Amino acid sequence: MFLPVTPHEKLQALEAARVAGIDLEMLETNLTLSVKERWAQHDAALDFAEKLVAAKKAADAQLWRVAESAR
Amino acid sequence: MHNFGALLSRLAEAGLEFVIVGGYAAVSHGSSYVTKDVDICLVFSEENVAKLRVALRDLNPQHRMAPQRLSFLDVPPPGTPLQNLYLRTDWGIVDILSSVLGVGDFSRLKERAETVEVDGRRFALISLDDLIRAKEAMGREKDLLTAKELRAIAAKRAL
Repeated sequence: MFLPVTPHEKLQALEAARVAGIDLEMLETNLTLSVKERWAQHDAALDFAEKLVAAKKAADAQLWRVAESAR
Repeated sequence: MHNFGALLSRLAEAGLEFVIVGGYAAVSHGSSYVTKDVDICLVFSEENVAKLRVALRDLNPQHRMAPQRLSFLDVPPPGTPLQNLYLRTDWGIVDILSSVLGVGDFSRLKERAETVEVDGRRFALISLDDLIRAKEAMGREKDLLTAKELRAIAAKRAL
């Protein structure tokens, strides 16, 4: 059985997630959203994460150029 | 810009029958994790591959695992048997699978899939039970963590 069924299994599943560092409050919020809203929230988060990665790369490249020109 | 929802709608509009699986299925069920791709499972019939090409034709679909980034519109030639396709498109990465480890092929997934409706369109979504099974079969740290999260979602849904 993969899904927690009994009240005991459900509590165990929630406790295992909490111990693993999963934010249960965030899950509750997600469960209030429609699938469309979950998709939109996810895609916006992915876009933002990729923008951050690109910004960090650009900043590192800039630092590298400054360090090189100072040599 | 990623728009996996639009990508999935595009595939459905092309008449493709598929089940949403993988990380984006987890997101659909309520997971907080962010995934870089959308995975679907379908039957790799010649007809479905032709529909995929039509659906993705203006999205610059490329084989992301091939160093030369070959276009899916040209490669492989029609009639080539396929197991999986890993594509990069202008709307994001889409991985197309013929089966899911630990669960089975399209017909097995479809049998127990949930139906979700987005903008009036119905999508087949791998059941929570099967998704946990798949994540546990993958066995990587990140998959096991997602499985824990999905179990918590199942517990919360039923409370």
